[in-house]
Amino acid sequence: MQLAKFVKFREEKFGGVLFETRSEKVFTLNPVGAAVIGEIKAGGDSQAIAARLQDRFSAPPGAIEREVGEFIADLRRRGLIED
Amino acid sequence: MNDHVAADPTVTRSTVPAHAGTESEDLGAPLYVAWQITNECNLACLHCIEESGPGKAFPDELDRTQVFSVLQQMMDLDVPYLSFSGGEPMLHPLFFDMVEYICQRDGQLKIETNGHYLSPENCARMKELGVKAVQVSLDGASSATFNRIRVRGEFDRVIEGVRNLQRADVPIEINFSPTHFNVDEISTAVDLAYELGAYSFYTGRTMYTGNAVKTWKRLAASEAQYQIFFDALRAKTEEYRGRMRVYFHESGLLEELRYRLQHPAALLIVLPNGLVKLINALPFICGDLRRQSLREIWAHFQRAWQDPRVAQFVDDLAADPGKTRTLHKWVYL
Repeated sequence: MQLAKFVKFREEKFGGVLFETRSEKVFTLNPVGAAVIGEIKAGGDSQAIAARLQDRFSAPPGAIEREVGEFIADLRRRGLIED
Repeated sequence: MNDHVAADPTVTRSTVPAHAGTESEDLGAPLYVAWQITNECNLACLHCIEESGPGKAFPDELDRTQVFSVLQQMMDLDVPYLSFSGGEPMLHPLFFDMVEYICQRDGQLKIETNGHYLSPENCARMKELGVKAVQVSLDGASSATFNRIRVRGEFDRVIEGVRNLQRADVPIEINFSPTHFNVDEISTAVDLAYELGAYSFYTGRTMYTGNAVKTWKRLAASEAQYQIFFDALRAKTEEYRGRMRVYFHESGLLEELRYRLQHPAALLIVLPNGLVKLINALPFICGDLRRQSLREIWAHFQRAWQDPRVAQFVDDLAADPGKTRTLHKWVYL
């Protein structure tokens, strides 16, 4: 799993931005969304990413895994990530 | 992780430069730099906003050292998206050196060209370097209309150039400027763009700026023509949905500027001599890359939009559209 070919990511004070340069669309991310993108760039599947984020954010058991999975599905649906 | 945060990870989505939700002032650097790398052009188009043409290079265009200093700053600030235009950008003596630098540093670069220098060799080079897209101006589906607006232009040469891009597998965008004598060809032009392998087609009202101010009577489409034009585009948008994106803007210059006053784009316009404009269709300069860093200019960009002279100019434009004659008489903010 990686960012799609025409997608660029940049961290910002508020989180980050994803720029899909073919459609010239910008997606604004909050800090958690930006952290997920950072982990996607670092490599690994959804479960591995959730496990790494568990160490950084406090959340009820299972919440991170579920929400990371939903977020990644959303990114995939928008064509922002690819395998 | 807060529940609501994780459930709302992509907060907003919008097309650049309309960057809804998070305003440009929240960003640490521009998202997009549109660099007019030279004012020299082989054509002298009737509607050219930059009034480019043969022999029209600025006398003080950036030299090699300055060019690469600017490029380095853009890449160091992680500007994700750049475009080169002109003039005709492929006439710049450092064109491929600049392209190579950006692509090697993983920048995404679009070239906006009149399509007259798209030889098989140049297209192969752009593919090899990793250019994100090449946008070609194709204002008509026939040589009769194209050559009329693109003075000195050669329709057949452009078509061959776009086919060279297609053969080299370089992503293609087509741009179309409407006039009273080419609006009837819009459907054919969209079909042609698709046949040539374009993934996007862009158009909108031709602006009363630059050369168009002098040639308006020979150019301007009527409102009735525009309505038919936009109806045809709506139909083509549906016809090509999922195969080629058809983008068009029905609003005029004034509406665009009024929106920008409230929502400045995260976009810097860089002129061939390093001056930085607030937006292409206003005369205001918010920085000079020969003397200031990109970071300094970006910080000033936000304040410059708040300068009362900017809003006043837009108000005056509503009363006198001819104020666009002063577009190249720069006002420093």
